[in-house]
Order: sequence, then structure tokens, then C-alpha cells
Amino acid sequence: MSVLPWLVAAWLFGIGLYGIASSRSFIHLIGCLSVCQSSTYVLLLGIGYRWGAVAPVFYDHPPGTPAVDPVVQALVLTDIVVGATVTALLLAMALQVDRKYGELDPQKLRPLVAKARR
Amino acid sequence: MTPRLRIGLLGLAGLCLLPAIWKVAAALPPFGEPTAQYGPAVNRLGPELRHVSNMVSAVNFDFRGFDTLGEEFMLVCAVTGAAMLLRGARGEDLSARAGRVEGRAVIGRAESTILISRLFGPATLLFGLYMALHATVTPGGGFQGGVVIASGLLLTYLGEGYRGWRQLIGSRVLDAIEGGGALLFALAGFAPMAFGRAYMQNILPLGTFKDVFSGGLMLVENAGVALAVTGGFAMLFLEFMEETRALESESGG
Repeated sequence: MSVLPWLVAAWLFGIGLYGIASSRSFIHLIGCLSVCQSSTYVLLLGIGYRWGAVAPVFYDHPPGTPAVDPVVQALVLTDIVVGATVTALLLAMALQVDRKYGELDPQKLRPLVAKARR
Repeated sequence: MTPRLRIGLLGLAGLCLLPAIWKVAAALPPFGEPTAQYGPAVNRLGPELRHVSNMVSAVNFDFRGFDTLGEEFMLVCAVTGAAMLLRGARGEDLSARAGRVEGRAVIGRAESTILISRLFGPATLLFGLYMALHATVTPGGGFQGGVVIASGLLLTYLGEGYRGWRQLIGSRVLDAIEGGGALLFALAGFAPMAFGRAYMQNILPLGTFKDVFSGGLMLVENAGVALAVTGGFAMLFLEFMEETRALESESGG
């Protein structure tokens, strides 16, 4: 059972990457990118986990109680918040692309084709 | 390139990388028995050195505070970029009216929605504030608290409607909160240098363990993060709401 967290992370990354490669819309692509991102959270939290340990907050438990790794938790925490704003930035870009070309399919959005059409 | 070809290329690239991936995967520590030394060292020494009980906040705002400064400016950059992209296409002007798409029915808010939003909106705001203020004591901190406060603002929008929401929150205020928060974080780092110490060295009194006012300089940095995250998320929401208005003018309304 101890390989399950790694398998979940690999599976999440795999389906996210497959979605990005086969995407037919930028909105769908951004969603897939978020799935890829989530796989790193699973991996990081899995690396920091310790059997039978408490959260790294020593309020109810006295300091010295075995606790999980706080460094990876801090990494994941900041990344979730920053990742959400980056997703918003990407969605704003997708909006601009749609406004300019009326098209969200990466396949049909080759820059050269767009220029030739004008 | 057809989608099938793209998938094929992806599979080929995966196959080429497989030996390297396998080597890294085989070197991972077994689940539940980490081998890293840094985290346990923080857990062992943190409460004594910094008088705080939340080690995640200690890592974020003290031991690796410089990294968080980078994250903070990534957040500001992303929010600023999104706001610039949206405003660039729409213009700076903001309106207190929500947009309508012609031909789409406008469904009023149900009274139950208003009731629930009015009950939980202020409670969520209060909870977010609590989370942000108790960063060094209990689970929470500026990042989480800021997001919860921004969610409370969303609930306020659901309860009061767009017009009421806009009367409550000015765009300029959000700009100031977002940029000011990041500035506060950076300045909190420079303050120790005025006294001949290193950047971001914790020179303020550390306070008592398990007290709200513990952690010294961490509290200032945490306040900066809370402000920047609240302002950033609320601003993103406002900008995307304004997009619906742009839609209205496009459809000739």
C-alpha cells in the first residue's frame, strides 16, 4: 500500500499531460494544467508524511511530538494560492485570444495561419 | 499536426524519459518514513528559537521568508497581469451595473440565497480574519486567511447583488491593499538592515509561546501576505465580473 500515494501523483500528472496534449480548447487546457499541478501537491505531501505523526502545529501537542515535515506543507500552501492567481492570468489570456481570433482551439491558432488570413 | 500525432509524440517522449523517471522513482523514500533532515530540524528547534507553535508559518515567514517574498511577488505579478490584460481590452472605467447578455433571461436571486449569504458572509469574513491573525499559533496564516476573506467577499456579492457589492468595495481600495501588502512584506525585510542586521532577520520581540503576539517580525510579514492575497483575489473577481459588462456593450446594449 505504501506506493499508492506515488501512483496517485503519477496518475494525476499523466491524465493532466494527456489532456494538455489532446486539448481542443484553451479553457480545457488550463484545467488540465491545474490537474498536473495538483499531482505535485500529492507528491510533496507524500514525501513529507510520517506514520503516526501529528500536524506540525504544537498547540495541542507539546513541542517534541513527532510531526510531519512542515517545509513541504509550506511549499504546497503557497503554491495553491499562487497557482490560483496564475490560472486566472491564463484565463484572462484565453479571453483575449478569443476576442482577437474568435477561436480557442490551439490547433487552429497557428500564428502563421492567422497572419496569412488577414 | 493532428491530435493523434501529438499524442503519439507525447507517448514517444514519455518512453524516452522512462529510464530516468524510473531511476528517480526508485530512489524515493518509502511512504511514511521520510529521510529529509530540514523539516524535522525545524520541528525540533522552531518552538524554542522563535516562540511560535505553527511550524508551517515559521517556515513561510521566517526560516524561508525570502522564498515567500518571491512567491508574494509572483502573486502580485499574476494578478497585475490578469488585471492589465482585462482592462487593456475594456478600458479603465468601471461601472456599478452588472452586464447582461441579450436574449438570456435574468433570473433574480432567491430569498433563501440572500438569507444564507447574509448569514454566512460576515461569519466567513470573521473566520478569515481569525485565521490570518492567528498565523503563528494555530493552523492558518496570511495565505489561507486572505483566501477565506476573499471568499467572504464573494458571499457578500451573492447576498447583496453586484450593485451593492460595488458600493461596498472600491477598485482603488483593492489596488492599494494588494500593492501595499506586498510592499509591507518587502519593507519588513529591509527594516532589520537599518539596525545593521541581515535582511529579514527577526529582531522584534518574539513574545510568548501560544500567544497571538508571538513570532516578532513574522506577524508583520503575515499581515502583508494577508492584505496582498485578499486584495489580489478580490481584484481578480472584480475584473472578471467587469468582463460581463464588456459583453453587454459588444452586443449593442
